[in-house]
Amino acid sequence: MTGFSSIDRRRFLGFAALAAVAPGRLIAAAADGIPPGRRRMIQRNGYAIDAETPLDALMTYLTPNDLFFVRHHWNPQYAAHRGWGLVVDGEVERPLRLTVEDLRRMPRASATCVLQCAGNGRALFSPGIAGVQWQYGAVGNAKWTGVRVRDVLERAGLKATAKHLHTFGSDKPPLKVPPFWRSVELEKILADGIIADEMNGEPLPSVHGGPARLVVPGWAGDHWMKWLERISPQPEAQKGFYMETAYRYPKAPGAPGVAIPVAETQPVTEIFVKSTITDAPARARAGAAAVVRGFAFSGAPDVARVEISEDEGATWKPAELDPQHDPWAWRLWSYRWIPAVPGKATLWARATDSRGAVQPKDGVWNPSGYLHNGWHSAAVEVEA
Amino acid sequence: MRRRSLTRIRILALILVAGLLAAPRNSSAAPRKKKPAKAKVALVNFDAHLPVLGTKLAEFPAGPGKALADAGCVFCHSADMVVQQRLTEKQWTAEITKMTGWGADVPVDKRDELIAYLVKNFGTDGPRYEPVVARPVGR
Repeated sequence: MTGFSSIDRRRFLGFAALAAVAPGRLIAAAADGIPPGRRRMIQRNGYAIDAETPLDALMTYLTPNDLFFVRHHWNPQYAAHRGWGLVVDGEVERPLRLTVEDLRRMPRASATCVLQCAGNGRALFSPGIAGVQWQYGAVGNAKWTGVRVRDVLERAGLKATAKHLHTFGSDKPPLKVPPFWRSVELEKILADGIIADEMNGEPLPSVHGGPARLVVPGWAGDHWMKWLERISPQPEAQKGFYMETAYRYPKAPGAPGVAIPVAETQPVTEIFVKSTITDAPARARAGAAAVVRGFAFSGAPDVARVEISEDEGATWKPAELDPQHDPWAWRLWSYRWIPAVPGKATLWARATDSRGAVQPKDGVWNPSGYLHNGWHSAAVEVEA
Repeated sequence: MRRRSLTRIRILALILVAGLLAAPRNSSAAPRKKKPAKAKVALVNFDAHLPVLGTKLAEFPAGPGKALADAGCVFCHSADMVVQQRLTEKQWTAEITKMTGWGADVPVDKRDELIAYLVKNFGTDGPRYEPVVARPVGR
């Protein structure tokens, strides 16, 4: 183990895969509404790759594939479509192995929905928390297409004894790092889960989990297993570090900075209601209209409203929701603001979802920094 | 270390060249006429001067403990992951315990030196961290 001089196979393959896909982007069409000057990523980790999207590139309903945030736990060995197969075993009558072609012959299903990393916003918590220092952009909205998990499990003859779907990807950890093995409650995955091999109408890119990944609408990204190679219905939840220690959230809020025993935590599941400002003028003129824009989403299937406050939450005015929407997708919103007086102004945004959950002023501090959803604000200099 | 880094950069450059050569071309089997490079540049939809994601990496700052960080941390992840943290001594100690448990190569008698280095450089009052801005990826 010797620092930079040691380019092991995983790293080599990771870089090679990046290099191989890079030229494709040189001629990619910019038909998705994001101008060239905004097409870049904020690198949070060079390898394994972690990168978030700048907010000014998150202003469209569908987030382009090349601008979608990337979160790798370690350098994956990207699977080729040829030879790839999805094993279905466990509590089923007929264990299966499905190829990409098998999946494409099954009834197709799509979901346009938000994928958010559980740790998005970790850098905004105080006191600080170890981990990838995501700010706002470990989130995106895409159209995911593939087959329903329910259809695959029915084809395999799902037994009534199964309660959890254990999920396995082809990425293997280095050294003694525990594997990223997970499980999802069967009830959720049967209702909404998709095994996706397309993203926004293109084959699912390797960097986003291709040939196929799990899509769990409304739930945080830790459930969306990438490079999916095996699913296994089981009576009990998966065990291991990434179930029993990581990706857990306090059952009740604790004091910031104070550790919480695992017994008093539960798995992260639904994402929290949240609104983020993507566009606000740095300067505005008193009496003249300015427009503020953003997106809002929730683990509930829809957002009911987005509001803007000029007085840190004392009063709120409604923003206009864009009509384009799908269950668990984000809502773009805009707010026409006419500043009344010159000086420094701050605008706060908050969302309320279709179940009535209201975005809180501050995200609830938790030991791993998950699901930050405190109000987002923008400072504007108002001139006379 | 510098020589090794240079070797590494050369390897990455070779991989990039290989990637360019292996890039999918138009499916037509007919011989293609070479188009002027200008036409291709006009289609670039991002700043081509940006580094490819994962090729421009943070480096640990000089000082006692740098060699330990280079040897112990970057096998699994780049130094970016470390230098963006702003943690207390207690938090860094917990991180080193976790990472050595997972196989990070930190000699037991050097552990405190590494923790001191991390606290000094990446403590709670450290300077603002500026991440690398990279090309889009993933189409």
